[in-house]
Amino acid sequence: MSDLAELLKAKDASIDVDDDFDVINRLYMERGWSDGLPIIPPTSERVEKMLEYCDRPWHEPIAKMAPRYGEATPLRLAANAVMAGCEPRYFPLYMLAIEAMCEEPFNLYGVQATTHLCAPLVIVNGPVAQELAINSGHNAFGPGTHSNATIGRAIRLALVNIGGAIPTLGDMSTFGAPSKFSYLVAENEAQSPWEPLHVEREFPQEANTVTVVGAECPHNINDHESLSGEGILTTIAGTMAITGSNDIYYSAQPVIVMGPEHAKTVANDFSKADAKRFLQAHAQLPLGKFSKENIERRFRVTFKDRYANAGLDAPVYAVQNAADIIIAVIGGAGKHSAYIPTFGATKAVTRALKRKDGQLAKSVEDFRGR
Amino acid sequence: MSELRKRGLTTAVICSDPFIKLGTTQAKVFGTPDLPLVKIPHPLGGLSLEQVEGRALVAVPQIVKLIEEHAK
Repeated sequence: MSDLAELLKAKDASIDVDDDFDVINRLYMERGWSDGLPIIPPTSERVEKMLEYCDRPWHEPIAKMAPRYGEATPLRLAANAVMAGCEPRYFPLYMLAIEAMCEEPFNLYGVQATTHLCAPLVIVNGPVAQELAINSGHNAFGPGTHSNATIGRAIRLALVNIGGAIPTLGDMSTFGAPSKFSYLVAENEAQSPWEPLHVEREFPQEANTVTVVGAECPHNINDHESLSGEGILTTIAGTMAITGSNDIYYSAQPVIVMGPEHAKTVANDFSKADAKRFLQAHAQLPLGKFSKENIERRFRVTFKDRYANAGLDAPVYAVQNAADIIIAVIGGAGKHSAYIPTFGATKAVTRALKRKDGQLAKSVEDFRGR
Repeated sequence: MSELRKRGLTTAVICSDPFIKLGTTQAKVFGTPDLPLVKIPHPLGGLSLEQVEGRALVAVPQIVKLIEEHAK
């Protein structure tokens, strides 16, 4: 617990504005502190309430956010969480996601500043998903769920207001993406035939985790006809084999969002590890599918050990290592899966929610000490 | 590059025009707001060798000037 009144005495820590929703929103928009949507004014009362779920000093940075390398203090994060409309009990998971994306392997600088259209995707695992009612089923990536929408939005506001992801100044994305408004889902563990993502990534079953991925938006994979695991995986592999993906040029970790119905069919014939091996081996296209310029200027030069003299039928793999493919079961009914390529120069990071004593937090309330 | 600048070396970052604002912002972030930015035309991808040489011809005089100024 810290003294908010004392912290707000610091230079530029607060502003005095008329208590008028429209005036405040106009001001925030003018100063570039918003994502373009109306914000909830982060009054000291609201920020203090948000910080009821914070377990450390409110003014001490938990991370520095690229490209501005702004200090992500709980106080600043809380202001952005209020603006996004978060409930205070969302705060621990939101802080955890920020910490995860500030770890070096994630390359937040690259993800934020690149011309690519990636955004940090957050996949939540563990009982906390149910506790906070995070959607993992129908329309999990879409609108309609308070926790998905507002935690994801709070992350984006922090990326802008603390990290400096401001178009042309710190975010050079050629297009941007709708996922830059909010991009947070939970894995549908109840409908998954396999071990959850966090267990596969060597966390205990009872852990509550976030996995962050520097990701594109989901691309749908329709397969209403395949009755076998091999059939579904063949369709998915075919969708992954595209010429314009960053992932081809890196040791990338793209995400296969497997719809529960597809997952059930695949699991009849494949373990998760086997499914990944199948996808890696079959998600390939012949070198000749790439443009002449790409072949001559990139494949034959940058990847000369493999392609200097390779024929046009030489395989180019969508993913270099099978184990790098991230499979998460998400979504509701329907014969669909989705492919999420990445920025490429980024590694997925998973972090677990822990209590002050270093033990895994069983829930957000356990984290809070209640 | 900012670290080298702080150590007193002649330094510069080469930016194509749309990246000048990013370069300026980053120079401030790293504590070297006076870090010289060598401006060349965009784009950089998909250039022929002749076009790459053209970019170099734009950059070289700016770099030479920086070195001369630094030597004074």
